[in-house]
Amino acid sequence: MTAPSSARGACRSDAEDGCITCGDVAVELTVELVDVDRGLALCSDAAGRQESVEIALVGPVRTGDRLLVHAGTAISHLGSAANPADPGRAAEEVGRP
Amino acid sequence: MKYVDEFRDAELGRALAAEILSLVEPGRDYKLMEVCGGHTHSIYKYGIDDLLPENVELVHGPGCPVCVIPMGRVDDGLAIARHEEVIFTCFGDMMRVPGSEQTFIDAKAAGADIRMVYSPLDALRIAKANPDRTVVFFAIGFETTAPSTALTLKRAKAEGVGNFLCICNHVTIVPPLRALLESPDLRLDGFIGPGHVSTIVGARPFEFIPRDYGRPLVTSGFEPLDVLHGIAMILRQIAEGRAEVENQYARVVPYDGNHAALAVMAEVFEVRPHFEWRGLGFISQSGLRLSDAYADFDAERRYETPGVRVADPKACQCGEVLKGVIKPWECKVFGTACTPEHAIGTCMVSPEGACAAYYNYGRFAREREVV
Repeated sequence: MTAPSSARGACRSDAEDGCITCGDVAVELTVELVDVDRGLALCSDAAGRQESVEIALVGPVRTGDRLLVHAGTAISHLGSAANPADPGRAAEEVGRP
Repeated sequence: MKYVDEFRDAELGRALAAEILSLVEPGRDYKLMEVCGGHTHSIYKYGIDDLLPENVELVHGPGCPVCVIPMGRVDDGLAIARHEEVIFTCFGDMMRVPGSEQTFIDAKAAGADIRMVYSPLDALRIAKANPDRTVVFFAIGFETTAPSTALTLKRAKAEGVGNFLCICNHVTIVPPLRALLESPDLRLDGFIGPGHVSTIVGARPFEFIPRDYGRPLVTSGFEPLDVLHGIAMILRQIAEGRAEVENQYARVVPYDGNHAALAVMAEVFEVRPHFEWRGLGFISQSGLRLSDAYADFDAERRYETPGVRVADPKACQCGEVLKGVIKPWECKVFGTACTPEHAIGTCMVSPEGACAAYYNYGRFAREREVV
């Protein structure tokens, strides 16, 4: 067996945030444009980085909606900018198990 | 930020820690397994174990997809990647996972065309941009990632992209959990259930754990308060003499899963009779391969691969770490011969791996001092 590689991974991962694609990690993105014919949405993160996202698993999507995205695929619909879910209430529930 | 700040509130965290303390019986030991590597990462990033009573121990499970890939599958991928016409694509963490002789990064340095992608869709884009080459995607991951691969293959088929292939290493979460519960050397009192896997499969598939083994499972999110809340819910069940599946992560996890995702997986994949897991050995019906309808996209049917089982390096104890039998720092090579920069075992490669999580967040130094 040869010596293990000393090269560091070139993934978007790091010790701080983990690996988005390899782990069971998902990120929240906001929909900017929807291409219904191709089943894709152009989404952006809080820092403005954009990526195309598969939207086949989350039903109708509109500009401003927030999606939970894993490996380029939206796995959950988190609500829209106009009608957000209420995380404050959820946090309150967490505080009172 | 929505769904983040609300779940990192220190005061709520202290309240949950007090709640947990009130739920444990002095003198009784509690061993809880966090199934998912994402939870392992959160626990060490936020020091969640420091908030728990001494008699509550968290055991790291097999839920890091990179960590459970056996060396033989890396060798299979490398054999395909060395073909001149192939552009081989994989997720970043896979690049550093050791095969028996090389990693993908080593093979890339030796001349193979190996590229890192963020998603299967990226690999398909490369295929469309290089019609005279064969693009192979090394697919790994649990049910969280498998739908993404399935949708991409479905798209490739619909668009007639004939130069896109997949070597499928997707695995399913229930069979290894059953194997762990059958393991005679491991006693567990409850499970922190995987969060995003459950977004796809739901919480219902875990009902066998309380039903057949009398242990509670709580599907939990990844923010610090999510994990603490999940632990409190498990301990409350134990205190009340209950064993049920509960869903702490209900803001994302539907109890019955995502039907569209399950349907596309059923169309594109079929279950392998058995699949090898690092540290756990061969587990029946735990891996996925492409269905006959997608045979034209199956790299394993197009190319010869060694298909040989390769034993892990003798010094590596990833198997025992993955089963929760030993802590990462108890491995003979942890932090010495095996570090994130020079990984021998898979658990040190991925940030979701238990060893890397310990190492990166300073657990190494503290635990050694305790010894």
